[in-house]
Amino acid sequence: MVSIELKRDRLLMRWKQQKYEWIIEPRYWRNPILWSLLLLVFPLFISGYPNILTMVTMANLYAAITIPLALQMTGTGRMNFGPQFYLGLGGYTSALLNLHLGFTPFFTLLATILICLIIALLLSPITWIAKGLYFSLITLILPLALLDLTYIFSDLFKGEVGLMGMDPIISLGRVTWNYVAYYYFSVFLMLLFLLVAEKISHSRFGLTMASINENEDVALMMGVNVNKYKVFYYVFPSILTGIIGWFIVHTFRTFAGVTYLPLDFMIKMLIIVMIGGRASVYGMIPGAYFVCFLEEILRSIGTSNYFVFPLVLIITLVILPRGEGLYGLYHKRHPRDYFPVMRVRRE
Amino acid sequence: MLLVKIQSVLVYTFLWGSIYLLISLGFSLICGVLRIFHLGYGVIFVLAAYGTWFFLDAGLGIIPSILLMILLQIVITLLVFYKGIFQRYLEQEEILLTLTMLVFMMVSHLANYLYPVTAGVNLPTTIIDGTFKLGAVRISYQMLFAALVGVLVTGSYILFFLKTRLGLIIRAMSQSTQASLLLGADVNRMYCLAMVLSIIPPTICTLMIAPFWSIDPHMGSSLMMTAMLIAILGGLGNLKGSIISSYLIGFIHASISFFYVSRFMGFGALIITLAVMIFKRGGLFAGETIW
Repeated sequence: MVSIELKRDRLLMRWKQQKYEWIIEPRYWRNPILWSLLLLVFPLFISGYPNILTMVTMANLYAAITIPLALQMTGTGRMNFGPQFYLGLGGYTSALLNLHLGFTPFFTLLATILICLIIALLLSPITWIAKGLYFSLITLILPLALLDLTYIFSDLFKGEVGLMGMDPIISLGRVTWNYVAYYYFSVFLMLLFLLVAEKISHSRFGLTMASINENEDVALMMGVNVNKYKVFYYVFPSILTGIIGWFIVHTFRTFAGVTYLPLDFMIKMLIIVMIGGRASVYGMIPGAYFVCFLEEILRSIGTSNYFVFPLVLIITLVILPRGEGLYGLYHKRHPRDYFPVMRVRRE
Repeated sequence: MLLVKIQSVLVYTFLWGSIYLLISLGFSLICGVLRIFHLGYGVIFVLAAYGTWFFLDAGLGIIPSILLMILLQIVITLLVFYKGIFQRYLEQEEILLTLTMLVFMMVSHLANYLYPVTAGVNLPTTIIDGTFKLGAVRISYQMLFAALVGVLVTGSYILFFLKTRLGLIIRAMSQSTQASLLLGADVNRMYCLAMVLSIIPPTICTLMIAPFWSIDPHMGSSLMMTAMLIAILGGLGNLKGSIISSYLIGFIHASISFFYVSRFMGFGALIITLAVMIFKRGGLFAGETIW
């Protein structure tokens, strides 16, 4: 029989051997709800400024790329230097299938998930084979190899120009409405990924992530099947990243490997991870917004922004507490809240 | 025809391999001694080209410009990279890697801001002009000279590490920093020395290849990638591995470009490196020592 209990801070439901709980104390859900509402009403004030709308849409997408990346980095205990590989894979899969085989966005999404799943599964053994920095190096090479392929087979991938004219996910007839719709889609994806990452992190399953991240050998000793979990934490975030590639293809309707696959893009993602707070999933959203806003503000100073931008990021990274990013600021005020952050190991 | 191709592959394996040695030697040295991955290594190439040009542009001669550029390299390497980043974040590798990459990005963009590609930066570092024929293969004197310098510099580094007391201490540190500390090695000074030694080969390389290689503010990325591939393939921080993998990458590049299509060169090397990394963990010479 189902039994429901009301505890001080949570609602408990028991059914046979299973136990489900929902936290009802306001301090746990008030802030996320308020921030989500703010994100939802934000376009009402800026719908007349398409450049700002595009910027925040990009910020949402960057956050949506780095949330799975953060999950992957903590879950595998390795630093991934090539999240953009699956972004490229997802993007090119959906763009090519849409352009050449006429797949609708729904079917390109399914194909993207399938392709990313297969490739990530094939490559997942590197999470146990390659130790420490070697994993980072392999992941660094993968997107560059894909980029090289796009140049070599430029007839198919259209090289630096990229693929254009893919079907949009939605078309509302007016450009501004489309921009607003894409913004909401990006917010939806970001929040969905955050919710998934949060649920995983706070589940029993997610506890293994923290244990692998803290100490792989101890986790192994305690009976955690480290290799199995590592495969999951490599494959699942890779699929989520691939979905962002699909989203970019069907919203911006253009996709070029040269934009997303080179080192510059990877550095931007890595900076978001570090500024956000060493791969804490909550830190990714302020991290992405910080980087996008900074980039936009510095654009006003002209061409010198290209070298001022990394300079400001260096200063930010150095002055943030103990190099722990924006999450570090939060953690300073809430030292008892535990959330796994990335710890790079050499072994 | 086949004979000419084989001849070309052999000659260019030596030429490119020796130049790749110069490109990768410093990177392997840092990997071997400090046991870190120096993602700001590309800065050395950019500074070598644009630092020299900056002083030339200010009206100085080529020799004073090169000397001042080397001084600038040493200052940046020791103050920014070593004191500013490596020493502070040696135990927080993720921050170390991010910061080194950001410094590299900043220097490249600064070079691009001061001297964009349209500025036509052209270093007058040609030692011997012209070309000659070796069998059926035409080679430029400058490229041959660069290759020979590569062999010479590598040889002197090996002699330094094997025959001198300082080399012995650095080798000991590459095996175990803790044990070296116990035996009285001044680890900080040796790290500084290793950092300074690491800038010499890529600086010489940039000056040597400038007349026949394209110079642009973002050249550091591709050269650093080559250095990384060689270091990974050879085994991080192992000089023996770096020497062999330099010639191996040279051979792969030469074979693909003479027997197939040159645009597959980079991709071929990437795939072979990836395969080696997956099937032979730690590269060709996986050892916890520099030699």
